[in-house]
Amino acid sequence: MNRDEIPPGTLYLLILKTLALGGELHGYEIADAIQRTSDDVLQVEEGSLYPALQRMLIKGWVTAKWGTTAGNRRARYYQLTAAGRKQLTVEVAQFERVIGAITQVIQTA
Amino acid sequence: MDWLKELGRRIEMLLHRRQFSADLDEEMQLHLELRKQEQMERGMAPNKAHSTARRRFGNVTGIKEKSHMSWGWDWFEQLMQDVSYGVRGMLRSPGLTIVALLSLALGIGANTAIFSLMDAVMLRSLPVKDPGQLVLLGDGSEIGITDDFPNTALYSYPFYRQMQKKNAVFSDVAAVFSMRSDLHGSVEGHSETEPMAVQLVSGSYFPVLGVHAMMGRTLTEEDDQTKDGSPVAVVSYTWWTRSLARDPDVLHKKLRIGSTLFTIVGVAPAEFFGTKVGESPDIWIPLSMQKEIPPYFDAYSDNFGETLDVIGRLKPDVNMAQATANVNLLYQQILRGFPNAHMDQKSLEALKNTHVALTPMAKGLSDLRGQYSEPLKILMGVVGLVLLIACANIANLLLARSTARAREFAVRQALGARRSRLIRQLLTESLTLALAGGALGVAFAVGATHFLLRMISGGTETVPLDVSINIRLLLFTLGITLITALLFGTIPALRATQLDLTESLKDGRGPASGATKSPLARALVISQVAFSLVLLVGAGLFLRTLINLDNVNTGFNKENVLRLQTDTSSIGYKDDDPRMTQLYQQIEDRVRALPGVRAASYSSFTFDEGSWSGSIWVEGFNNNKDVNVPHNVVGADYFATMGIPLLAGRTFGPQDFGTNSPKVAVISETMARTMFPKGSAIGSHYGMDGPKHSGDVEVIGIVKDTKFQHLDEAPTTLDYLPYTEHPMYLEDFEVRYTGDFSAISSAVQTAIHGVSPNLQISDVTTLEEQVGRSITSQRLVAQLSTFFGLLAVFLSCIGIYGLMSYVVSRRTNEIGIRMALGAGRSNVRWLVMREILQLVAVGVAIGIPVALAGGHWIANMLYGLKATDPMSLAVAVVAMLLVAVVAGYLPARRASRVEPMVALRCQ
Repeated sequence: MNRDEIPPGTLYLLILKTLALGGELHGYEIADAIQRTSDDVLQVEEGSLYPALQRMLIKGWVTAKWGTTAGNRRARYYQLTAAGRKQLTVEVAQFERVIGAITQVIQTA
Repeated sequence: MDWLKELGRRIEMLLHRRQFSADLDEEMQLHLELRKQEQMERGMAPNKAHSTARRRFGNVTGIKEKSHMSWGWDWFEQLMQDVSYGVRGMLRSPGLTIVALLSLALGIGANTAIFSLMDAVMLRSLPVKDPGQLVLLGDGSEIGITDDFPNTALYSYPFYRQMQKKNAVFSDVAAVFSMRSDLHGSVEGHSETEPMAVQLVSGSYFPVLGVHAMMGRTLTEEDDQTKDGSPVAVVSYTWWTRSLARDPDVLHKKLRIGSTLFTIVGVAPAEFFGTKVGESPDIWIPLSMQKEIPPYFDAYSDNFGETLDVIGRLKPDVNMAQATANVNLLYQQILRGFPNAHMDQKSLEALKNTHVALTPMAKGLSDLRGQYSEPLKILMGVVGLVLLIACANIANLLLARSTARAREFAVRQALGARRSRLIRQLLTESLTLALAGGALGVAFAVGATHFLLRMISGGTETVPLDVSINIRLLLFTLGITLITALLFGTIPALRATQLDLTESLKDGRGPASGATKSPLARALVISQVAFSLVLLVGAGLFLRTLINLDNVNTGFNKENVLRLQTDTSSIGYKDDDPRMTQLYQQIEDRVRALPGVRAASYSSFTFDEGSWSGSIWVEGFNNNKDVNVPHNVVGADYFATMGIPLLAGRTFGPQDFGTNSPKVAVISETMARTMFPKGSAIGSHYGMDGPKHSGDVEVIGIVKDTKFQHLDEAPTTLDYLPYTEHPMYLEDFEVRYTGDFSAISSAVQTAIHGVSPNLQISDVTTLEEQVGRSITSQRLVAQLSTFFGLLAVFLSCIGIYGLMSYVVSRRTNEIGIRMALGAGRSNVRWLVMREILQLVAVGVAIGIPVALAGGHWIANMLYGLKATDPMSLAVAVVAMLLVAVVAGYLPARRASRVEPMVALRCQ
C-alpha cells in the first residue's frame, strides 16, 4: 500500500476537521480517523499528534477531559471549542488558497 | 484578551506539571497498546505487533519532550535548576559567598542610599497636577525681604497681582512667601504652645497647583482679598496626625498664633509638602494675614516690599520663549508704573537691562538642591567606583573558583553540553548571587539613608524629606544589580567555558595550568588598586578642605559661646510692641548676672542665618544707592559676647540704648575702608531710606571683619545697630560663658523663664556647633568619601590577598623545587612580594594620572588647596603601598613556610 506523508502545516487542519466531524475523540481515534477518511493515503506519524494537541490545548482550540473507552480503558477525549471551529474555517480557507494557487501553476501548460 | 487566557492556561500547566506529564504518559501508553492490539487482531505476532506500533508512533521520548516544550516553560525549569545548583555551590564555599555577599550588599546599598537622596532632592517631581507646566519667575536664589530695584529674585505682592491680571501666557499665577516662618502657637483650648512651621501663600496657590483638600477646603482667592481679613489656615496631613492625632473634628478647631485666632478650614493631602523640597510646612496661611505672622512684614500693599516667589502655570499651548517674552514686557511695564519707583536716569538704565529668566518648577524649589547637588553627584561617583571595585573582587573570586571547576565543565562539554548552556548556567549563578546581595543592599540602604539624612540635617531636627523605598528606587537597585551581575559574571563565565577539552580532562590541576600568568585576574587587581587610589586621593582632598574650613579665622571667637533662639510670638508680642526691647534688656541683665557668664546679648544674626540688607547714603560723600550693606541689629554687649575686637573708636554702651539716645552705629573695617574717605569713618554720618537721611547715624566705632554668611566668603561690609534704634523681632541670644556648658545652659534657660515664663526657647547649642553646621555638606562629603575610600582599599586588599593566595597555592610545587635547590625562605618571600609590588606599582601608575585628570570635577568643592595637591597624592600613594604590602605579606609568608618534601609530594 502506498502511503504519503501529510503536507507540512496541515496537521492542525486535519485534527480540527476530524474533531469537527467526530465530536469527542481520543488520540488513537483521531489518528485512525485521519487515516481512514483519507482512504489510507495520508499517514500521520502517530506520535506527532500529541505535541500538536498540546499546542491546540494552549491555544484554546480544543478542550480535553478524561473518559472511558468502549474497552473500558481510561482515555483523554478531545473536543472542539468555539475558537477551534473558527480556527478550522481559517485553516480551510488558507489551505484552499494555497492548493488553488498550486493547482493553477500545475495546470498552466 | 486571548493571550491573557493563553497565559493563564500556561501557568496552570506550570503549576500542575506533574499531573500533565502523567496524563500525557498515560494517553500515549494507551495509544501504543491500542495499536498493538489492532495489529494482533489482524493476526500479527505479539512482539511484531509491538514493534510495528512503536514504529508507527515514532520516538516516544522525543515526542514527550516536544509536547512538554510546547507549553513554553522549559527555560523556566532550567532556570530553577541552575538557581538551585548555584545556591548549593555557594553554600559549599561559605567563606567566599559571605565575602561576595557583603561587598555586594555594601556596594549596592551605598548606591541605593545615595540615589534615594538624589531622587528626593534633585529628581522627583512635585506631587501636583501637571508639574511640567509650572514655572518660577527668576531663579529663586534669594529669600527674605528687599527693596532692591530692579530685582528679579523676589517680587512684591502688588507686582504679583498685576502680573496675575495682565499676563497672556499663564492660566493662573500664584505667589508664595520666600521663607517659612518657624514660630510657636497653640491649638485653641490647649495650654501648651508647640512649634509650627507656617507658609504664607497667595489665595491662588492651591488652585494653581491643582491640589485639593483631603478634608474641608484649601485656600482660595476669597481668603486673599483684604489685609488682615481672613484668619484661616490649611494644615498639613503630617501636622494633623502629629498634633491632633487625626481628630476628625479638625475643621472646628482654631489655632492661636500671637494674638490672632486662625480657623482651620482644611487638611492638605498626605503627599503634598508645599513647593520647597525639604521644608514641608505644617500650616498654610493666606498672604493677607502676613502682618500677624513672624517676621511680621507689612508688605501686602508695598510696591517694593519684595518678599515673594511668583509661580505661573503655563497655558497648554504656550512655550517657554513666549512666556519669557510676555513676562519681561510686563515686568518693565509694572515696575515703571509703580508711583514710588526711584526713577532716576541710573535706575531706568538698570531696569532696561534687566531680564527675568523663567525657571521650570516641576521639581519644586529647594535650598538643599543648590547645596547638595554637586556633593551628591560626587558621592554617586564615589559609590559607583566602590561598586566597581567590589565587582572586580567578585569576578576574581569567581575566576579562581571556575578554574577549580575546570574539570566539571570539561566533563559536561565532553558529554555534549553546549557552551552557551554552560555560560547561561554560570550567569544564572552570578545573578543569584547579585540578587541576594541586592536584597541585602536594600535592607542596608534603608538604614544608611536615614543616617545620611541625619548628617545632612545638621541641626536638631531632621530635614523633612521623603526617602522611603519606592518603585523608582527599587527599579534603580534592580538595574544596578543586573549590571553588577553582568560585570562580574561575564568574564569568568566566558573564561570557564573556554577549554581545551583533552588537556583539562587529562589533568584538572596540573602544574601547567597552575603556573598560568592569569593576566585577567591581574588586570582586575590592578584596576582595583587604581580606582582605590583615585578614591583615596579624593578623600584626602576633601578631608583637608574640611580641616581648612574648620581653621578659617571667623573674626569672632566661636569658643565658649552658648546661643539659643527665643520666639516672642509665643507670648503674643508683635514686631512694633514696645515691650519687646524691654524684654531683651531684662533678659540680658538677668543672664549677665549669672555666675560663669561673661557677657550676653540679643542680635538679629550671628553667623550663616541669612541677612537683612539695604542701601545706605554717606553724608558728604558722593555715594549712590547701589551700595547694599547687610545690617546686624544687636544688644550693647554683642562685641564682648562674640569676642569681636574693636579697632578704633568705641563699642556700644548703655548710653546708646536709651529711649532718646542719638543714633549710632559700629561698622566693619571693610565698610570703613570702602565706603568712607580714608581714615575719616569715626564721627562720620550715614543713613538709610534715601539721601535726605544721610546725616541720621553717627559712626562711633570700627570692629574687625567677621565672617557673616559663609566661612569661605571674602571680607564683607557690615554695620551693627542698637536694637533700640531698630526695634524688631529678634530671635538670637548669645552668652559668653566659662565652665560647663550644660550647667550654664540650664541656668540661662531658667533665668529667661524667670523673666518671661512662657517665652519659647529653641535650638540651644554652641556657636561652634552653629559654625560647624554651615559646612555640613563639606563634612558629609569628607566623611563619606573617607569611609568609601577606606572601604575601597579594604576590598582591594581582599583582592590582592585572594589573588596571591591562589597564585601561591598553584605554585607550591615550583616553590618546593626552588627550596629543594637551595632557595632561602626570604628569597621565596621576596619572590611573592615582588609580584605584589609590581601589581600595585602598575595600579598606582595608572591611578595617579586618573586622579589628576578627575581633579577638575571637584575643584570648586575644595577650599584652601588645589585638586593637584601633591601632599594628598603622596599620602594616598604611600597608604596604598603600605596596605598592599600588609595584604600580600600573609600569602608571602605562607609561601616561605612551604616544606619542600611536602610540596613535591603533593603533586
